[in-house]
Amino acid sequence: MSYVVQRLLTFPLILLGVSILVFVAIRLVPGDAITAMLGTEAGLLTPVQREALAAYFGIDQPIWAQYLRWLTGLFQGDLGISSIYGKPVLTVILERFPLTLQLSLMSMVIALSVGVPLGVLAASRNERPSDLVVRVLAMLGQSTPNFVVGILIIYVLSVFFGFVPAMGTFTPLFADPLASIAQLIFPAITLGFAFAASVTRISRSAMLDVLSDDYVRTARSKGATPMSVIWHHALPNALIPVVTLSGVEFGYLLGGAVIVEQIFALPGLGRLVLDAITQRDYALVQGTVLFIAFNFLVVNLLVDLAYVALDPRIRIGRR
Amino acid sequence: MGKMLSSLFRHPSGRIGLVIIGFYLLAAILGTLGLTPHDPLKLFAIDRLKAPSGTYWFGTDLLGRDAFSRLMVGIRQSMLIAFASVAIATIAGTIIGLVSAWWGGLWDGIFMRVMDVLLAFPAILLALLIIAIVGPGTMTSVAAIAIVYTPIFARVVRGPALSLKQRDFVDAARTFGSSQGYVLTRHLLLNLVAPLAVQVTLALAWALLTEAGLSFLGLGTQPPTPSLGLMLAESRNLMTHAPWLMIFPAVTIMLGILGFNLTGDALRDILDPRTQRREA
Amino acid sequence: MNQFSPKTLLAGLAVATALTSVSAALPAQAAELRMAWSQDATGLDPHKQTAFSSLRLLELIYEPLVRLDADLNVVPAIASSWEFAEDARTLTFTIDTNAKFSDGASVTSADVKASFERLLDEATSAAARSNFLSIESIDTPDDATIVFNLSTPDVPILVAMATINAAVMPAAEIEAGTVGTEAIGSGPFVLESWEPNAREVLSANENWAGGELAIDGITISVLPDEMAILASLRAGQTDFALLNDPLVATLVPMEAGLELNRVGVLNYNVLQLNPSRPPMDNLLVRQAMSCAIDRQEIIDAALAGEGKVTGPLTMPAFAQDPANLFCYEQDLERARELMAESGVDGFSATVIAATGEPPVAASEAQVLQAQLAEIGIDLEIEMMELNVYVDAWLAGDFDMAVAQNGGRPDPYPMYNRYFTNEGNLAHVSNFPDDELDSLMKQGQAETDPAKRVEIFQAFESRLAEQSPWLWLSTGYSYTAQRESVSGFTPSPTGTLFGLVNVSVE
Repeated sequence: MSYVVQRLLTFPLILLGVSILVFVAIRLVPGDAITAMLGTEAGLLTPVQREALAAYFGIDQPIWAQYLRWLTGLFQGDLGISSIYGKPVLTVILERFPLTLQLSLMSMVIALSVGVPLGVLAASRNERPSDLVVRVLAMLGQSTPNFVVGILIIYVLSVFFGFVPAMGTFTPLFADPLASIAQLIFPAITLGFAFAASVTRISRSAMLDVLSDDYVRTARSKGATPMSVIWHHALPNALIPVVTLSGVEFGYLLGGAVIVEQIFALPGLGRLVLDAITQRDYALVQGTVLFIAFNFLVVNLLVDLAYVALDPRIRIGRR
Repeated sequence: MGKMLSSLFRHPSGRIGLVIIGFYLLAAILGTLGLTPHDPLKLFAIDRLKAPSGTYWFGTDLLGRDAFSRLMVGIRQSMLIAFASVAIATIAGTIIGLVSAWWGGLWDGIFMRVMDVLLAFPAILLALLIIAIVGPGTMTSVAAIAIVYTPIFARVVRGPALSLKQRDFVDAARTFGSSQGYVLTRHLLLNLVAPLAVQVTLALAWALLTEAGLSFLGLGTQPPTPSLGLMLAESRNLMTHAPWLMIFPAVTIMLGILGFNLTGDALRDILDPRTQRREA
Repeated sequence: MNQFSPKTLLAGLAVATALTSVSAALPAQAAELRMAWSQDATGLDPHKQTAFSSLRLLELIYEPLVRLDADLNVVPAIASSWEFAEDARTLTFTIDTNAKFSDGASVTSADVKASFERLLDEATSAAARSNFLSIESIDTPDDATIVFNLSTPDVPILVAMATINAAVMPAAEIEAGTVGTEAIGSGPFVLESWEPNAREVLSANENWAGGELAIDGITISVLPDEMAILASLRAGQTDFALLNDPLVATLVPMEAGLELNRVGVLNYNVLQLNPSRPPMDNLLVRQAMSCAIDRQEIIDAALAGEGKVTGPLTMPAFAQDPANLFCYEQDLERARELMAESGVDGFSATVIAATGEPPVAASEAQVLQAQLAEIGIDLEIEMMELNVYVDAWLAGDFDMAVAQNGGRPDPYPMYNRYFTNEGNLAHVSNFPDDELDSLMKQGQAETDPAKRVEIFQAFESRLAEQSPWLWLSTGYSYTAQRESVSGFTPSPTGTLFGLVNVSVE
């Protein structure tokens, strides 16, 4: 328990670091909200006009004053106002987050439901042809960039089936579950492709490890059927590394999938922050990055806890 | 090193991986030496978007440049970025990891929190910001990918380094009056080669993928220098006109990543005592 | 409304579902146009927004006093007629009495006056203000008449008013400070909702003075990848789309059931040289470069043939045949002679270009690089993210820049910012030239159309001969539509106002 408290105590520190890094980095990028809005026409502004706009975007103050103001707001749960959306940053993020969350979950479900059975199958047929086929496929899957998968999916769907998943806006799950899942299924496959390959590989090797452990041998010698050995004795233990991998991967996915969101025109967190960077919406960049970092920390903490909870050896070790 | 290579070569997937990497290095060297069928930057104005043929093995692109020659130079570019960024990340990560583990205390706290910050910062956004600040280009891509992977190496090194530090032989060396630097390099580093080697090959695969992704977003390698990702990005809108422009770079990227992944797997098999036991 | 118990609520839902399915089953009597574009508007204040994508949206919601038709003639919008005084120092408009804002209020001269005062107020930060500096005072003799008193004769101000940057908005909204959030205009459509970078929903404005529309509304989806737009058109998820990338546009006619609308635009692709930096300060070097490039080849290679060679003037009413301009045919021999004469023995320089803006920028830079290498010029290409590029461009901090600059139907508002001595962007063009300056001023004051053409053609020839920039080509504006869509007229200004005549089967 003290371990959790210790980890939680580092959170504010890490988030403070992230906040400073993002705050400084986005301001080091040449160009500002004014050039983002006006392009080369910004050159037509008089100094008075420029100042008026700088004040409007809140970039007329020295950088440390801007940071302090932002940090003070942060402690009151105020992430600032997005200049693109004209709404509180947190509101904008929370509008986009359901898509990213659902997409991440669906990718994970796809990855696990394809990867675990394939991995177990391969392990139980160690070195036989079906094992080799699975391993080669998994290897190839892991080596395919997801934008290649995404482009091909859209191309094939639209040319051969005259269909594309709904693009532009997102149908939330509670509004229309079927439409919502249908919209995200192909992007989820795109993201889940390499993910499933990793899961396959790790569940295969974990399974092989476990199958050679003593207690499985004992079970076998006591006459358990091969099937029961695999599903009842071996699998629960083999799942530990799978859970860890999926958790870490899930943590990354929650950060948004810039390229896949771009290709499938989905308004998720990835595109939100990409657009915010291109349009120099400082408050939105800062808020979104902080939000993503926070989720990442929480998910990783949960993964570690799950790991401890699942693996008896570690629990003993920690005591 | 030679021993490792030969045992890699005896491992089935290691062999395939090494052969692929060997081919890529060969293409990269030939590309660097200018031994390509055509000048990769020359525009053959009358031969735009030609399908693969005896003259242009992989066809020509929109501006009339030979796709095969560009692919060779593109492999060089992508490999250069992958190797350079991973080398920097490995060195920086190892130093940070070792120093944190060895000195411990406050230094460990500071270094590791900084690494935590970098890890928690969404990787592609960190790369995007660095690129936007410095301007895109080869060196920027190298730096951006290196910064993203440094904390991973630091963690990979720190963990084993901490446990090695507690072990008897390091203690013994210390009590026998070996200098700090000697103990660090001789004992710690040598024992870290195994986990590092595996991480390096996997990171190479990731770096190749990241370079492709950055170039696809127009933020990586800049024209006219070809890179695999850039070639793929440029072919995006020509998919129906000239599918070969997309297929070849895509397959080249996949095979390259596959090569590194296979080698990394084989290394893990060879170096991991548990799998050795299993195979025994 | 009565309070619902959970049960009635459920029943209500069931009815609502039934209703939606009924309306979905009905033939497309209630026609809605599903549209897509890759770049979204960046804001709703027509005075402030200058981005192409914002203008395209705002032109559907707001109206200026006058607008340009597909042949670039000035035609009525809010104003039904107008008149210049003999000395071109007074401009009087009569307002269409049918013109109404979407909230039902009539458009009056007070609204026009308030709008222009807002535009001219420096606190508004309207970039277009620089086009209206000659306005000295505005009179409103009655509700339907508005008089602009000008400090100097200013003929091009009429064309400058024919843009959405000079939109008329309700005086009450200006007073309340709600412009940019409420979007109340007198245009053909009303903005129902806007989710930036995702979607906007427009409905037909019943109060629009221009007549009844054949569609009930437009839903615009933002699909950042134009290949995805094409896929969406192909799959029937989108009816109508705006395309930026000529490569994607050329794919449209190959698709069954899709049509491409293509119209030449006023924008021009140009290689801007920086004449304040050596050796580009040397006239002979600049001229050598102009002779060395093959403009048609750049179009063929980088633009997939989608463009026309152009001189500085892109509007048909003023443009002369590019063949008459200095060295518009590639002439390498002459280029080498000029280089030799200049005393500069080859040089290296950096050319900046923005990533994806225009989509062909990188290709153009690469072809230019190959062509200029022929006369010993070693170009290094530096691609920049758009904003970074704009920042460098505005600071005049470049050797050369590949640019796509906006065109106007009149040469004066198009070039006075660059090539008059007090132009706002004179520090970007870095080419002070008294002859260009004086020609510009003559053109501004001249009222005789034929004489104006003469003046501006002299201006164009001088520019091409001095070659501070190398004008390359003009492209096209593209929209793609499914066969079910009809009635759209594209315009050289790129406006989508032609959507008012669109019907969907």
